[in-house]
Amino acid sequence: MGFFVFLMVFGFFLAPYPVRDFGCLYQGCTNLPPFTDWAHPLGTENSGIDVYSEILNGTPNDLFVGIGATVISVAIGVLVGAIAGYGRGFSSAILLGFTQVFLTLPVLIIILLFARVFVLLVAGGFGLPLITLILGVFGWPTIALVARGEILRIRELEFVQAARALGAGNRRILFRHIVPNMLSPIIVISTLLIAGNILTEVIISFLGFGDPNTSTWGLLLQEGFAYIRTEWWVSLFPGLAVVFCVLGFNLMGDGLSDALNPRLRE
Amino acid sequence: MASLLTYLLRRILFMIPVFIAVSVITFLITNAAGDPIKLIRLSFKTLTPTQLQQLISFYHLDQPLYARYFQWLGEFLTGNLGISLQGGTVADKIVPWIGTTLELQLLALVFSLGIGIPVGIYSAKHQYSKSDVAVTSTAIFGVSMPTFWLGIMLILIFSVYLHWLPSFGFISPYPPYWWGNYYLDAIAHLILPVLVLTFVSVATIVRLIRANMLEVLRQDYVLAARASGLKESTITFRYALKNAVTPVVTIVGLSFGFLLAGAPGLETTFTWPGLGYAFVLAATVLDLPVVQGITMIITLLVLIANLGTDLMYAYLDPRVRLS
Amino acid sequence: MGQELLRVDDLHTFFFTEAGVVKAVDGVSFSLDEKEPLGLVGESGSGKSVTAQSILGIVPRPGKVLSGRVLLKGEDLLKKKDSDMRKLRGRKIGVVFQDPNSSLNPLFTVGKQLTDVVRTHFDISKGQAFEKGVGLLKLVRIPEPETRMTQYPHELSGGMKQRVAIARALAGEPEILIADEPTTNLDVTIQAQVLELLKSLQRELNMALMMITHDMGIVAEMTEKVVVLYAGRVAEVSPTREIFSSPKHPYTAALLKAVPRIDKKASLMSIPGNIPNLIEPPAGCRFHPRCKYMTQLCVDQIPPLEDILEHRKVSCHHWKELSLESEMAA
Repeated sequence: MGFFVFLMVFGFFLAPYPVRDFGCLYQGCTNLPPFTDWAHPLGTENSGIDVYSEILNGTPNDLFVGIGATVISVAIGVLVGAIAGYGRGFSSAILLGFTQVFLTLPVLIIILLFARVFVLLVAGGFGLPLITLILGVFGWPTIALVARGEILRIRELEFVQAARALGAGNRRILFRHIVPNMLSPIIVISTLLIAGNILTEVIISFLGFGDPNTSTWGLLLQEGFAYIRTEWWVSLFPGLAVVFCVLGFNLMGDGLSDALNPRLRE
Repeated sequence: MASLLTYLLRRILFMIPVFIAVSVITFLITNAAGDPIKLIRLSFKTLTPTQLQQLISFYHLDQPLYARYFQWLGEFLTGNLGISLQGGTVADKIVPWIGTTLELQLLALVFSLGIGIPVGIYSAKHQYSKSDVAVTSTAIFGVSMPTFWLGIMLILIFSVYLHWLPSFGFISPYPPYWWGNYYLDAIAHLILPVLVLTFVSVATIVRLIRANMLEVLRQDYVLAARASGLKESTITFRYALKNAVTPVVTIVGLSFGFLLAGAPGLETTFTWPGLGYAFVLAATVLDLPVVQGITMIITLLVLIANLGTDLMYAYLDPRVRLS
Repeated sequence: MGQELLRVDDLHTFFFTEAGVVKAVDGVSFSLDEKEPLGLVGESGSGKSVTAQSILGIVPRPGKVLSGRVLLKGEDLLKKKDSDMRKLRGRKIGVVFQDPNSSLNPLFTVGKQLTDVVRTHFDISKGQAFEKGVGLLKLVRIPEPETRMTQYPHELSGGMKQRVAIARALAGEPEILIADEPTTNLDVTIQAQVLELLKSLQRELNMALMMITHDMGIVAEMTEKVVVLYAGRVAEVSPTREIFSSPKHPYTAALLKAVPRIDKKASLMSIPGNIPNLIEPPAGCRFHPRCKYMTQLCVDQIPPLEDILEHRKVSCHHWKELSLESEMAA
């Protein structure tokens, strides 16, 4: 995990070749298999792009989408969940129903549709923030449900009741007592959401619905798939990068949920 | 029974807003992509004013947006999905592909439940044993993998290098057939995509069943059943399993929607002629009526799957029927 | 009293957790006679429930019975194979758990849960098992038993659920009924009814009753003999009548002083100090950090469980001082 965060910050500097560098087209080093030329350790693809370099260039972009979208989802989700959980009556019922409608949507198809249409419409270079926004806007319902469940649980706890008995106002109770206590499950589910968002982004770019001018792992996989019969390495290595990164976040989520949720264990 | 009926009625009523939400989103977004005439002009540069006028009235472009939405929705509900920009009606294009997609999804669902439930139980009963650690680590790999990438890797191994299995399509269009026969040929084409889909959803189901089972085995009613002298197998497979599976049913329902929505990636990898692949093709060339149709059909399938889930859930958990 | 039915001898049950080994039951010994109502008393964490689970061999993981003997009519249950133990559970010893909301399976009807136990222990047909289930519900004074058989636990009230749990515990016609805090999660008015039911069932069915509780009021009402547990060890064993007039262990004395007048839960807390951490329990007598008679001897040596009078045992270095003081007070 730490390794990927490190790559996110320094990936651009570590990569030996610039983003989507086609230099090899002129130097004749296209289609290089991996481990044959140390200038291109993981080989090059059909148009001469260096696989190793491109994976590193893609890392910050994929992490940006994964984490950025999660931040947006958490912001919306916690807000909706807090209102649905804390308020009683009409507004909370409406929000809860709204959340459930959202949960039932075939989200991935709609996200693909959004990505396909809007990436076309916006100016080049904004593809990535746009996909982040789309993923964020569709990712909040789980967060909202968790937040609501936690609020319903916490507000019945004794110390919250005590604070209310002492005359603390709703807002004070919400921000002083409830929000800090619901952090841990939110953190756990956010970590898992980051993993899910990265996977979705990979699918979007793999299908060619992303920004064709930004390096991402999915875009590299798309290029690899086109030449699957001759260049296995262009498919293998970026995929491994995805697996390890997503695995890292999933393991972190599992680990956090164990650590934050102490139970008797052998 | 009456309570079960009202419960189902409520669930069906709940689906209406979902359907409306999807239809509004789909309609708006496809309209945001540009009107069909602009797209037609890309390929037919010379349109006479009369042709243009015909197109405008055909797509009702002279009417306001909301009027067009209701017209479109009405047509959809009566089964008219419109005309593909590539010629032919949308319905004719989509309908045969529903079957191929469902074939893949349902096979994978059956296999993954068949494998996932026993493995999950075993893992929970032997928590922290070597086999449990092996199962949980494989499962977390499974959920960390893009489905299509696993497909690519299997194609590399079994098709490109070993030449054991076909890598695309769902049937060989003409002989020679795989394994010498038309029917075996179809099975050969199914193996890899079903394997990929099964592996990924088994991973999810094993994790869920294991977690639920661990939770349930900690419950007092399991201890009480044990204290009453019931057989360990009765406790595990009847008392505990029913409690562990019930929440999984909901999630399988939801994840059926998720899997179906994941079809584009997988079907593209295997060139599987289903809804997902059709969606990708249509979206790539911006054949918006087809894209709209597929999105709506997938939504309907997901809603039907959810209804099935609700039925199962109500059957399994008596509390649902009453609350 | 009748013959000795159950004897627990130097029982040790530990929980092996990540934080360390929790010595939940650490050398507990007591005996239960036929048809005897016995109270097993202590604060939460004193090892009452774990003792019961150890007797039945159903200690949940990561707990383990390490040593000791559990003799049922002379046979050591700890040496039995699990398949033999299974036939005994519910048949010789029945258990009622604390919370009927969680001890009844929410997804099965009352009838199903009762007949399953009946058919495990008796070789009878489904129809006969159903009749027996109805009989059991009548036994625990549930009105309209035939209707109840087809209902799910959530359709019943709390007190009704606990009656069903009692019926299930009686389904195998056991000789011993263990009731683990059976009224703690019930409304006060219902509590009295359930206790009354248990008391009369014990007499009607000639069972031995092991009443696990933290409430000295229940002990007084329900039992004839008391075993007081403190931090996994026996503090004192005594006939119920005598323990109220002359407690021999300082912990018992403190418990009695804390006997609820109005609010039961709050006043139990009023013994100074905390229940000790069972991972690293206090050396010597486990009660010494909270005891006003504490001396160096209490820190250095574990007090033995001595026979001091007929039917009375105590584990305290200073029980004589305590007796003297209570005589003077009288």
